[in-house]
Amino acid sequence: MMPATPQWWRVDPLEPFQLGPRLIPGRIWTASGCFAYGLTGHEMTAPGFASPFAGLGAVVTKTVTPAARAGNPMPRLVETPCGALNSIGLENVGLDAFIRDVMPELEKRGVPFVASIAATCPEQFGEMARALQETGGGLRHWHGLELNLSCPNVAEGGHDFGKDPHTVAACVRAAREQVTDRALLAKLTPNVGDIAALAVAASGAGVDAVSAVNTFVGLEVDLATGEPILPRRFGGYSGPAILPLALAKVDEIVRKAGVPVVGVGGIATAEDALKFFALGAVAVQVGTAQMRDPFSAATIARRLHEIYLGNKRG
Amino acid sequence: MAAPGLPRPCRCEGVVTGNEPLGPGLLRLSVRLPLEPGFVPGQFAMLNLPAGRAWTFGRPLSILDWLAGEVSFLYRVVGRGTGELAGLKPGAAVTFLGPLGTPFPLDLGGRKAVLVAGGVGLPPLFAWRKQRPQDVAAAYFGARDQEDAPWPLLDSGWRVGLEDLGPSARGGARQGLVTDLLEEDFPADGTRDDCTVLACGPWPMLEAVHRQARRRGWPCWLSLEEHMGCGYGACKGCVVPVADGPDAWRPATCCQDGPVFDAAHLAWPQLERT
Ligand SMILES: Cc1cc2nc3c(=O)[nH]c(=O)nc-3n(C[C@H](O)[C@H](O)[C@H](O)COP(=O)(O)OP(=O)(O)OC[C@H]3O[C@@H](n4cnc5c(N)ncnc54)[C@H](O)[C@@H]3O)c2cc1C
Ligand SMILES: Cc1cc2nc3c(=O)[nH]c(=O)nc-3n(C[C@H](O)[C@H](O)[C@H](O)COP(=O)(O)O)c2cc1C
Ligand code: FES
Repeated sequence: MMPATPQWWRVDPLEPFQLGPRLIPGRIWTASGCFAYGLTGHEMTAPGFASPFAGLGAVVTKTVTPAARAGNPMPRLVETPCGALNSIGLENVGLDAFIRDVMPELEKRGVPFVASIAATCPEQFGEMARALQETGGGLRHWHGLELNLSCPNVAEGGHDFGKDPHTVAACVRAAREQVTDRALLAKLTPNVGDIAALAVAASGAGVDAVSAVNTFVGLEVDLATGEPILPRRFGGYSGPAILPLALAKVDEIVRKAGVPVVGVGGIATAEDALKFFALGAVAVQVGTAQMRDPFSAATIARRLHEIYLGNKRG
Repeated sequence: MAAPGLPRPCRCEGVVTGNEPLGPGLLRLSVRLPLEPGFVPGQFAMLNLPAGRAWTFGRPLSILDWLAGEVSFLYRVVGRGTGELAGLKPGAAVTFLGPLGTPFPLDLGGRKAVLVAGGVGLPPLFAWRKQRPQDVAAAYFGARDQEDAPWPLLDSGWRVGLEDLGPSARGGARQGLVTDLLEEDFPADGTRDDCTVLACGPWPMLEAVHRQARRRGWPCWLSLEEHMGCGYGACKGCVVPVADGPDAWRPATCCQDGPVFDAAHLAWPQLERT
């Protein structure tokens, strides 16, 4: 059965929109950790597409930490019937290499990007934000900074850290002091009772939007051994299975906190994305689906643009 | 980024043209693609079912052959994905993302290739031999037993070693491991120092082949297997430890930096631990 045509959709996802101090090129983004640093896949082709980057509003780059990290042991991924668990462990090149090697290359290739960072205390978030601002301040394609306050895979920081509204506010404040002319986003964990409280705290401290959500804590058991498959037991659950869960979290934030939201979680089609927009999201991010098909976000952007054009004419 | 000289990967729909059993649970899948053929042996594709029935992640399968408009794979049914693939009839749609990954070298700098394949590790070496027949010193194929071997692909150029030969030896097959056959043909006495090993197969076989290559002073290229998410370097879900200085290592991606690695670049202490 074809889904009903959403005649209420009147927004061109390819049209730049204002987010805080910054005009962002479009509303369909890729999610952190699922499209590397935005430097992978440029050579790929697909019928009807010039590249996987066609129509993307932004690539949220893989979260970087102050120092490079080797990440978790293998296996790092477990497929489930409607999603996946991951335990990458924030493998990343570190902030210095990101600033030195990645940012200039993204600028050169004209990839619109939002940098994602994680730290273990508010001061560190402030220092990272300052370093990015110092070198990146002049870049045309650097549009925003997303604070990853929610990665469930990092033993020393991450989780509990991002569950406390006071800490969330402190991290946001530290970053906002340094980065004033780029969009500032806080990425929230869904593994809390009251996500709206986190959004209120982030908003009060100066974010322009919250990204919701990161992965849900999950576990899968290997029946042959009776042990969890992932060496760290838990992983982050993502993919189509979490779409309704993510929608519920976004709805909670929009209605209780009134903070602009960038919707993330389970989006694989244009219709999935529209559900977030229907609830009031200002943009969306595509994660797991981008791993399966590097043209997912580009396909969604094109389809939403077509629906927009159809509704405008009709 | 694909290394210079490699074909550009494409994401497209294909149509199954054949899916014939070559043994119990062992099949050759052929898919018609709207693409010009182009791959280097060792490269693979991520195969999936069309939207609506797609698995969260594609399944990596090495490219066996690619003739005008039709690409083929050799696969063994081991789980959900390969089980569903085995049920596809001609005319069924699949999605293809490929060719992906860093392949085997084709130019061995004047050396001769010793090809070692185990089980469904055959495709890259089958393709290598097809593209560079004049550069092959020997080709070995190993499997558990007769039913495990894709006989239609094994012409007389392959020396076949079976762990369990069974009552009637087929195709000149011998009882034993491929590494035993290699040991027989190439004594480690320095008489043949002009070879390079290219190998793909189960991990214990790769370890053994690597030791043999070292004893003979041969360069050695191994195609490794890791569970994959994206297949194109986007998720860091498929890492392999590679050496990074004398005692250090760093994670490389099996899908993009590999699946083929120069054995000398691998971080063996870390690999052996896992
Ligand atoms: C580069 C590369 C090339 C390969 N080429 C071939 C080939 O030519 N022929 C062939 O038969 N097999 C090949 N394999 C192995 C093949 O990918 C797996 O057998 C297949 O993914 C199993 O999927 P499944 O759903 O049937 O198994 P399940 O166990 O149900 O799969 C669950 C998950 O684990 C992954 N997985 C399971 N086993 C493996 C494995 N051995 N390697 C990687 N991922 C695995 C699956 O992709 C899936 O994501 C290759 C693997 C790699 C990495
Ligand atoms: C393999 C993988 C790696 C991820 N890495 C990060 C990361 O580094 N930083 C982050 O903020 N989120 C990370 N995420 C979470 C995603 O950005 C996204 O929030 C989540 O997967 C839900 O969206 P999805 O269902 O579309 O994947 C990762 C997700 C996956 C699957
Ligand atoms: S499978 Fe995603 S990086 Fe290799």
